Amino acid sequence: MTATELTQLLADGLILGSMYGLIAVGYTMVYGILQIINFAHGEIYMLGGFGALFVYAWVPGLRAIPLWAALPVLLVVAVAVSVAAATGAERFAYRPLRGAPRLAPLISAIGLSLFLQQVVFNFFTLPGSSMGVTAPVPFPQFETAPLDLAGVQVSVAGLLTLALAAFGMVALTWFVRRTRTGRAMQATAQDPATARLMGIDTDRIIVIAFAIGAALAAVACVTQGLRLGTVSYNMGFITGLKGFTAAVLGGIGNIQGAMAGGVVLGLAESLASGALPHIDALAMFSGSVWKDVWAFVILIVVLLIRPQGLFGERVADRA
Amino acid sequence: MSTLLRADGVTMRFGGLTAVDRVDLTVDSGEIVGLIGPNGAGKTTFFNCLTGLYVPTEGEVRFRGALLPPRPAKVTRAGIARTFQNIRLFAGMTVLENVMVGRHTRTREGLLSAIGRGPRYRRTERESRTVGRELLEFVGLGGHARETARNLSYGGQRRLEIARALASDPGLLLLDEPTAGMNPQETRETEQLVCAIRDRGVAVLVIEHDMRFIMNLCDRVAVLVQGSKLVEGAPADVQADPRVVEAYLGAPQEETA
Repeated sequence: MTATELTQLLADGLILGSMYGLIAVGYTMVYGILQIINFAHGEIYMLGGFGALFVYAWVPGLRAIPLWAALPVLLVVAVAVSVAAATGAERFAYRPLRGAPRLAPLISAIGLSLFLQQVVFNFFTLPGSSMGVTAPVPFPQFETAPLDLAGVQVSVAGLLTLALAAFGMVALTWFVRRTRTGRAMQATAQDPATARLMGIDTDRIIVIAFAIGAALAAVACVTQGLRLGTVSYNMGFITGLKGFTAAVLGGIGNIQGAMAGGVVLGLAESLASGALPHIDALAMFSGSVWKDVWAFVILIVVLLIRPQGLFGERVADRA
Repeated sequence: MSTLLRADGVTMRFGGLTAVDRVDLTVDSGEIVGLIGPNGAGKTTFFNCLTGLYVPTEGEVRFRGALLPPRPAKVTRAGIARTFQNIRLFAGMTVLENVMVGRHTRTREGLLSAIGRGPRYRRTERESRTVGRELLEFVGLGGHARETARNLSYGGQRRLEIARALASDPGLLLLDEPTAGMNPQETRETEQLVCAIRDRGVAVLVIEHDMRFIMNLCDRVAVLVQGSKLVEGAPADVQADPRVVEAYLGAPQEETA
């Protein structure tokens, strides 16, 4: 394998991984504050893509202008749809179960997942079709040819993914560390009862955490649609699971760790499908069909060796 | 002097257990009031009723004449702040950030202004920082602003809790055993700090076991025994009251025999 091929695999992995990272942030923020896993987050992600596709399909003006000009509209709609779904989920599926045993919100989340999938499956239709979206539906594509960076091919959508992920992380880090609401969020994550006594409306902080996670997931889904060319009603399941894996890898509750975990996972998948064929002993376990296996093998190994995640701290000061 | 806090017949039951039983208590502005009693007398439970953490089963609490709202966040906004018997700082945040969190109810920051880093955001942040630093100076933690809260000494953490509580501009500060675990010198420093807090115009209601602390500081002392108020009065009178001695030490031998 040449150096260029390897660089290509790393670049692909980085792009895929930063998309996983965007999803992972949503899991990690909600877990950090509520200690629940929002297993419907994959569907929140999926809804963002369909929101974007829906306006693109039904608003004629958008198809008349170049995609890059329509993209801000698509992103805004995607974010709006995902945020609405996530805050609705928080209000009606999680908040009533606050204080219930851990299992209750988990089951609620699984139910919500199936519900959201079926809603899209049954009610979403494209112009000229009366059918639901039973199969993957085409997503608008950039016509521009991939950029050639010293032999490494990077698509416009790939670059966009990197740029949006980097921007999202910088903005989020700044928000959490440097604003009043961000500080209130940290305080709530560390000790919700004391945070309330400091005058923080923790219910509002929880809604904001759900909303931020949803917004980043929506962006992730639009970039995924742009890169792969399709979205489907059940795309949130496996991708959501990957995002969750990334969050655990990075140390759940740790925002920067989530993005790092995503990148580690993306690189691992990319190398598993591209680099392993060159290693004779492992060649039979390589190729894209095996990439999910490797992703979860990594998860299991990390959990066995470093249960707190690659970048997590040992949980010491939660009392 | 006007009445700041008025608790009327406050009762708190947990199932069959009456932890606080018809307690009346007032705190006037500019006063330091002590709340003492044996362990398990219901002092902390009573505090929790004053901060919206518990809603009393019976009775009412009025602060500045208005009924206490049933949510802790709103109580803080109304002007009651507290510290905890077991230190409850945001251990992973810096000392200054802890105080700035305490400032939360007194600041407004439009979400949009924060995102755009607008003038309102900058003003709010600057103001919080200034107040935070001033309060750290006040409690004697001026040089520690950037340290992580968990790295402060024990006495420092206690003082940080007080600074964080003061950051919400309270009219009344509730201190739950502020000198627990302190050496005599730290205790004296805390005494001076509480006096200085009163001089800032903040009334103080303090739970404490250190009798010298209570005698030196308090204008009035109330004794809680098994959930009810046994005695209330000037520190010297309370200390001399045989019922109080009995509550703490048990009745003299010849009377129980």
